[in-house]
Amino acid sequence: MTGNPYQSHDARILEVKDLTPREKLCTLRFLDPEVSERFTFKPGQFVIIDVRGFGEFPISLCSSPTRKGYIQLCIRKVGRMTKFVHNMKEGDVVGIRGPYGNGFPMENMEGSNLILVAGGLGMAPLRSVLWYALDTGKYEHVWLLYGTKAYEDILFRDEIIHLLKHGSSMNCSVKLAYEVESPSCIYLERGFSDKVCRGVVTDLFRGEEFDVDNTYALICGPPVMYKFVIKELLNRKLSPGRIYMTLERRMRCGVGKCGHCIVGTSTSIKYVCKDGPVFTYWDALSTRGLI
Amino acid sequence: MRYIKLPSENFETFFNSLKEWGKVYGPVKKGSIYSFQEVDEVAELALDYTRTILPPKKFFVRPRDTMFRLKDGRWENGVEGEKFVLFGLHSCDIHGLKILDRVYLNEPVDPYYKARRDAALIVGISCMPDEYCFCKSLGTHFAMDGFDLFLHELPDGWLVRIGSVRGHEIAWENEELFEDVTDEDLKHFKEFEDRRANAFQKEIPQEGLADMLDLAYNSPVWKDYAEKCLACGNCNMVCPTCRCYEVCDRWVDAYSSVRERRYDSCFMESHGLVAGGHNFRPTRLDRFRHRYYCKSYFDPSAGFNCVGCGRCDEFCPAGIEHVKVLEEVRGSLR
Repeated sequence: MTGNPYQSHDARILEVKDLTPREKLCTLRFLDPEVSERFTFKPGQFVIIDVRGFGEFPISLCSSPTRKGYIQLCIRKVGRMTKFVHNMKEGDVVGIRGPYGNGFPMENMEGSNLILVAGGLGMAPLRSVLWYALDTGKYEHVWLLYGTKAYEDILFRDEIIHLLKHGSSMNCSVKLAYEVESPSCIYLERGFSDKVCRGVVTDLFRGEEFDVDNTYALICGPPVMYKFVIKELLNRKLSPGRIYMTLERRMRCGVGKCGHCIVGTSTSIKYVCKDGPVFTYWDALSTRGLI
Repeated sequence: MRYIKLPSENFETFFNSLKEWGKVYGPVKKGSIYSFQEVDEVAELALDYTRTILPPKKFFVRPRDTMFRLKDGRWENGVEGEKFVLFGLHSCDIHGLKILDRVYLNEPVDPYYKARRDAALIVGISCMPDEYCFCKSLGTHFAMDGFDLFLHELPDGWLVRIGSVRGHEIAWENEELFEDVTDEDLKHFKEFEDRRANAFQKEIPQEGLADMLDLAYNSPVWKDYAEKCLACGNCNMVCPTCRCYEVCDRWVDAYSSVRERRYDSCFMESHGLVAGGHNFRPTRLDRFRHRYYCKSYFDPSAGFNCVGCGRCDEFCPAGIEHVKVLEEVRGSLR
């Protein structure tokens, strides 16, 4: 977008939906139809929400670019800014600038299998990938392996349950791991015994076979999750170049100026906001401190 | 490059002519320190200064910088570009600005930085190193571009290198002040440069430095220094290439708000903190190492992020010396 790159565009909140007690899904549309038309993005990119007079924060896009005319953001209430946005109502206007970051290379992966590994809030950017993959139908088979704490914490629960039921007709397998037992989880586990289990996300790899030469893994989750998931994938001989991860850092500007998201050492300085947030595992091997 | 000579007796007239371009800022002595301040008369200038505390970045990325003003629920741009002259920059600081250019003028261009950069006329000046300078070993002791005019001291005046069309135009307007360069001037120029080249007391051999530092990631030297470091962030403030900033929305009064950016320091605990309380650089060791890695990052197309100005050494309250840290870390590999 031209002009001042730090200037945000007005967007109206069309809908606010409670996903869990902590997370809300906001659907927004730019007021200016021209901006709305111009706003294209890739799964894995992020925007910066600008509440003028209060501050800004980065948040990943969780809707798919195949669904035009609106964007969706999944916002967890963790601090001052997100609490403020949680209190906003349908019809309110916020500023949005972006999209920023590199996003997942969706075009390069066409014709391949995708394994989406999500942990907790990591579901948000991967939902964009999931929708994109199912909408375009250009991917062989899509797995979604989703680890969550409890039934109440499952993001996009209705969509997940829908895919548990009907995923196979769309070449999509969804598997769910939960940590805290509850009647609802047991009910789910009974209904989909081969797809839902108590445990962690790496348990979901059990029993799955995939062609490592034609498969990409896309991971998003809390920092601690990457190590275990990557170990599992490497055990199955998936190349580090086929493992994509999207990372979180403190970001102020989103365009590689403010310096907070710098990672790496003397041989490998990278800006997560500009060079990422999607990196391959090879990048992580050659850049200290990435994961 | 075009070379001309400015005789000593014309210096003052030339200096005064610069005021036509805009306000003139130059090095001024304040007590025991130097600072870039607005200068009216030649007598105020301290042309033999070593280094100012704050580098000239303060004119382009201000310590506290208003980005927007809130008006009717929308941000109003605050981009301004009042012309000014930066007089008497040393070569290292000119290189420092070039490093900032790579960050701020890269797409998307930062409009605040660009407006001020376009509005600034840069006049460099030659210098003699003191015990802190190590620019020669980083190749930043001589500026080939990034200035409009560069003055080199001669016994009877200044040898002026013209680095831009704008510099040429300014010299042109004051043609009568300048002379052609004679062979004797060149001899003096060369003598000065030789004398200067031999005056450096510190150096950091850059051969393989980036790789060696990366390999020494777990060196105990980092830990020793991290314990000595006070994490005050002084080195960030005075560094000509440090540019991390934090953005804050500040209410000026009950009705109006501004969005400001302020210098941030990677030594602060909040620098790597994200929502939810996870900190990507939780210990002082992480933060200490981060700064050194950031400064010693070797960009194949542009070189290091450090220009060897010696500010972080001179103004470190814990007496930590940049070159010594790197040398010891490298030494610990052997």
